[in-house]
Amino acid sequence: MSDNRIDAEPRTQFGKGAARKIRRDHKVPAVMYGHGSTPIHITLPAHDAMMALKHANALLTIVLEGEEQLALAKDVQRDPIKPVIDHVDLVIVKKGEKVTVDVPVHIEGNAAPDTMVTTDHTSLSLEVEATHIPESVTVSVEGLAGGTQILAGQVELPAGATLITDPEALVVNVTEAETMAAEGEGDEAADADAADAGTDEA
Amino acid sequence: MLIPRRVKHRKQHHPGRSGAAKGGTTIAFGDYGIQALEPAYVTNRQIESARIAMTRYIKRGGKVWINIYPDRPLTKKPAETRMGSGKGSPEWWIANVKPGRVMFELSGVPEETAREAMRLAMHKLPMKTRFVRREGGDF
Repeated sequence: MSDNRIDAEPRTQFGKGAARKIRRDHKVPAVMYGHGSTPIHITLPAHDAMMALKHANALLTIVLEGEEQLALAKDVQRDPIKPVIDHVDLVIVKKGEKVTVDVPVHIEGNAAPDTMVTTDHTSLSLEVEATHIPESVTVSVEGLAGGTQILAGQVELPAGATLITDPEALVVNVTEAETMAAEGEGDEAADADAADAGTDEA
Repeated sequence: MLIPRRVKHRKQHHPGRSGAAKGGTTIAFGDYGIQALEPAYVTNRQIESARIAMTRYIKRGGKVWINIYPDRPLTKKPAETRMGSGKGSPEWWIANVKPGRVMFELSGVPEETAREAMRLAMHKLPMKTRFVRREGGDF
């Protein structure tokens, strides 16, 4: 079972008015579904939910009316400004079940001098056991020269994980760093263009 | 500077400034970003100024993304003109930015460099902003 145990309460009132009242009481409206069951509408304590959902693909143990249920956070709606969670979608999972999750890519090491490392795919879609979801996939760029590309198929995956993302997808691209002189020339050219440019009406 | 090549109408109404950003509220391309905390009209000059401030500080390496585009014209009547006689002439090109919008993104530099580069860029913008990063460090 997961370390994140959350005591949930069943939710009987719906709509934005009821949801706002729940949020005012420092709780988060949530819905739990999966395995062909009817969706269960619940409320979670806001602080516990916020702490548990700090990481991607959090596995939670939801305690609802004395019964424990393993669930995976499928979608978390956050306020773009305030540090609060508006709503959580939870998918019911079973121990040993395989699930498809997006795992963040973590870059480590320093590439060769005068190079720039760009991450094209910031996460990889993996099929893993629900109870053994990796926190991240590490890609080392130590000493890589400009022009090197690391594709999804070349990334070392954790044990038991299967890659769902296209193996030909570009994950990390190491390019030669542009010099400031080149940037400066670009600026001047862009300014000249802007000065000449007139906007036409269609 | 960013400017539309062709528009359907030269003079438009002022864009609405109420509400929060509907999309573009998370970092999509880079590792670090500048997020708006207030609504504002950001002119193409301010966008360019912020971009130059960032690229000059990071010197080499690093990639900058601009996620907003100044596609709305604002007009102005000349000073000491009587009211009437039609709408003024287009004076500025602005992006209508609402709270929550990630306007600039940066990658390929250490966090301290990104913070300082973005601090300099934030001073060129007309609203309160904050520095955001990709991995769980937004709040």
